[in-house]
Parts: sequence; C-alpha cells; structure tokens
Amino acid sequence: MKTTGISLFTALAISLLVVALFGGCATGATKNATSVVDYLFPDTKDPVVTPGIPVLTLPVRVGIAFVPSGSPGRSSRYGAGGFGSFQGGNLALTEKKKNDLMQAVADRFKKYPFVKDIEIIPSAYLKPGGSFANLDQIRTMYGVDVIALLSYDQVQFTDEGTLSLTYWTIVGAYVIPAEKNDTQTMLDAVVYDIPSRKMLFRAPGLSHIRGSATLVNQSEQLRADSGKGFDDASKELIVNLDEQLAHFREKVKERPEEFRVVNSPGYSGGGSGGGSIDPVSLLLLSGLGGCFLWMRKRI
Amino acid sequence: MLPVDAKTHLTPAHMPVWTLAICAAALLVFFMPGLGALLVYDRAAIAQGELWRLVTGNLVHLSVTHLAYDLAAFLIAGTIIEMRGYRHFALLCTSAAMLIGIAIQGLKPELNFYGGLSGVVTAAITYLCLQGLTEKGTWRWLCAAMLAGLAAKSWVELVPGKSLLAAVSTEAFVPVPLSHLTGAASAILLFVLMRLSASMGQAKTAMHP
Repeated sequence: MKTTGISLFTALAISLLVVALFGGCATGATKNATSVVDYLFPDTKDPVVTPGIPVLTLPVRVGIAFVPSGSPGRSSRYGAGGFGSFQGGNLALTEKKKNDLMQAVADRFKKYPFVKDIEIIPSAYLKPGGSFANLDQIRTMYGVDVIALLSYDQVQFTDEGTLSLTYWTIVGAYVIPAEKNDTQTMLDAVVYDIPSRKMLFRAPGLSHIRGSATLVNQSEQLRADSGKGFDDASKELIVNLDEQLAHFREKVKERPEEFRVVNSPGYSGGGSGGGSIDPVSLLLLSGLGGCFLWMRKRI
Repeated sequence: MLPVDAKTHLTPAHMPVWTLAICAAALLVFFMPGLGALLVYDRAAIAQGELWRLVTGNLVHLSVTHLAYDLAAFLIAGTIIEMRGYRHFALLCTSAAMLIGIAIQGLKPELNFYGGLSGVVTAAITYLCLQGLTEKGTWRWLCAAMLAGLAAKSWVELVPGKSLLAAVSTEAFVPVPLSHLTGAASAILLFVLMRLSASMGQAKTAMHP
C-alpha cells in the first residue's frame, strides 16, 4: 500500500510538471485579412487580366472602398497548448475606423486639381469576389472612373512565456503579464482605372506592435494592440499615398505612351484654382522691399 | 527719410505680428493636410453650410512652389505695411479674404476648389502702394511705380487671358485672376473709406474746434 501511494504521488507530480512545462510553451495566432487579389480575381487559376491603356478623362471622379471580407479562409485562428484557450481574433477595424481612413484617403485625393469628385462607396456595394464586373456596376452607379481599393491584413501571435508557470497560483493569472503578444498589420491602397483594368499605383502602410498581458486581460490587450496596429498603419499609408500620388502625377506627364489624358469639355486644368503670385510681381515687390530697407538705414 | 506729413497716417512702427501670424497659419495648414482639407475652398462643402471655407481657403496652398511664392510676397508686403505703421492691416486681410471667397462663389461657378493667399497679397500690395502715394519723397514714387506695375500685370492677366504665372509655371491648377482683382478692389475700398472717414473727422473738427 505504501509503495502504491508513493507511486501515485510521484505520477501526479510528474504529470503536473509536464502540463506546466507544455503550458509554458503555448502559442496561438489569429489572422484577419481581406485581399484585393481575392476580390478582383476570384476562383481564377490564372489571375491575369490584360490591362489596356488607361484614358484618364480629367477631371476624374474617384471612388474609395474597402475590399469586402467574406472569402472563405481569409479569417483564421489557430493555437497549441496553453493554459487558457487562445483569446485572439479581436479585430479592431470598426466601421468608424474604416470610414475615418477612407475620409483621410479622400482628403489626399481632394488636394489635386485633376480630381473632380470623391465618392466613398459603402462596403455593402462590393460583393466578395465581385471582380471587375462588380467595379463596372459601381462605375455605373457612382460615375467613378478610378477606384481606390483598401484592404488589410492583420496577424496576431500570442505566446506564453516561462512566467506563465505562475498561473498555477491562480493569482499569477491576474497579475503576471506572461502572455507575449505580437501584432503585425498591413493596410494597402490600390488604385485602379476601372475601364482599362489597369492598376495605376499602390500605397501600403505597415505596423508592428509587441506587447504583453496577463492571462485575464489578454483579450482586451489584443484588441487594443489591434486598434493601435491599424492606427499606425493608417498613418503610414497616408504618408505613402501622398508620395505615390505626387509620383503618379509626374509619371503621367513623363510617359504619355502609358497613360492617355483627355480633358473634359470646358475643363482647362481646373476644377481647382489657385491664387498665386507670379515671379514678375514678386521681383517688383522684392525691389520695393529692398528700397524700404535701404531707406530705413538712411533714417 | 520718412516724409513728415506721412506721420498723420501712421501708428508707431512695430513687429509685423499679423504678417507673421498669417504666414505661420499658412505653413501650418500646408504641413497638416487634414487641416487643409477642412479649410480649403470647396464649393460642395460651402453649399452644405461650411461657410468658413470662403475665408480660410486663402490659407490653403496646393504645392510647395505655390506656397513659397505667396508667402514670400506676403511677408514682404505685410512687413512693410506693419513696420511703416499703416493701420487696419488685419481688417484689410480679413475683408479681402472674405470678399475673394464671395467673388469666387458668385462669379466662378466652374471652380470647385480654390486655395492660395495671392488675392490677399494683392490687397496688401495695393494698400501699401495707395498709402505710399499719400506720402512724399522717393517712397511715393516707388509706390506709384509698383502700383503701375501691378496694374499692368493685372491687365496682362485679364485682357489676353494669359497669366504670367501660367506662362512660367508647371502647376496643374488654374490661376484665378479674379482673386487678384477682388483683393485690389478690397484694398481700394478700405483706403477710400479711411480717407473719407479722415476727411469727415477733419471737417467736424473744423466746424467745432
């Protein structure tokens, strides 16, 4: 009896140690993504559409939309071992954030005189896997020739560090931040000329956030990291978009064989006007300023 | 070298506070594109009640060159005005900005967006030259020459329909001579009103010494 008791105790201790050790190595990941490729080229083994030469009728009307999610397999989570079940999947890209981002993108386009109108297209008008046929419908409905498609890809990894052994004390799960989180986010804006199926340019925004959390507040922390990831990626995307827009304007001027530009009747480069001083006036004024300084010295 | 009788139109010379403030505002707006989008003259947004854009559009610039030319000119004209102590400069800038917005809204219906300080700059130069004409000596003649140059430039812009800026610039936006004309008109209006007010004041003093 005595021998059996010792064996049971030993077996229990070994089991607990094994569970604790494996628990300390637990890991998990969640991926949330939408893809422009999935949207434009669904179920196509050879996703090639031969683009034509874009004919940009100035001023252009631009649409902005988020590529719809909903394609199977685009949102997934997986995990292995661990104390608590994996708490990921807290996508913080709310409709408000999407709308704010689309508005910020619209503001960038608005600055340019070759843009006449900007339409923010509600997500409901884009069908998952809708492809160019769906874009043609949007073109008809909104009268836009160019569309900026926004997509995102966020992956959150969680790992339990060695400190997760303290979870056995129960208190540890509340106070020890043993959950290591890693959030990687990419936002992408791809601008297409709808009639020619030609991609005009793209601008990405990236973010990488590392953090830690207690077992109990891991879900909340992941949600916060997700939100911050999107915020940071949005900022980078906007900066890149500004650069790409300026670069595209130059490209259109330099490569007329790739982009044909046609002015609408009555359009003479405007739609946007600028009040600017010309060099001759500035020169005259500089002369007057010089005289003013010279006269002040002589007083 | 300042003519003696000019002092009747002057307040003590001081730092060009308004000039620097307006330049700083234009720089801030340029480097914060979100703010620019909120302030730019946008016909559709104005129609929806965002009336501040009529005035604030003057602070928004569409490119670095656009900003550089306008700020350089405004800095020179504004600094001279304020350092010489010509009064009501802030009133001039505000009223010119407002009138430019209203003029574009009413007379340029094809223009959806507008930005730029040049209308206000033209107002400042015109006002500076008009004030200079009331003085004596070299400064008066310099101001007269500047005013003549400005009038000639406006004529070139209007009659052949060709802006000097458009001739040398690669900017994509359309120059808007209407803003320059409105700016000049605001300056003339303010100057005339000031002169009338001063004359009436003098007449009152003469009648009731």
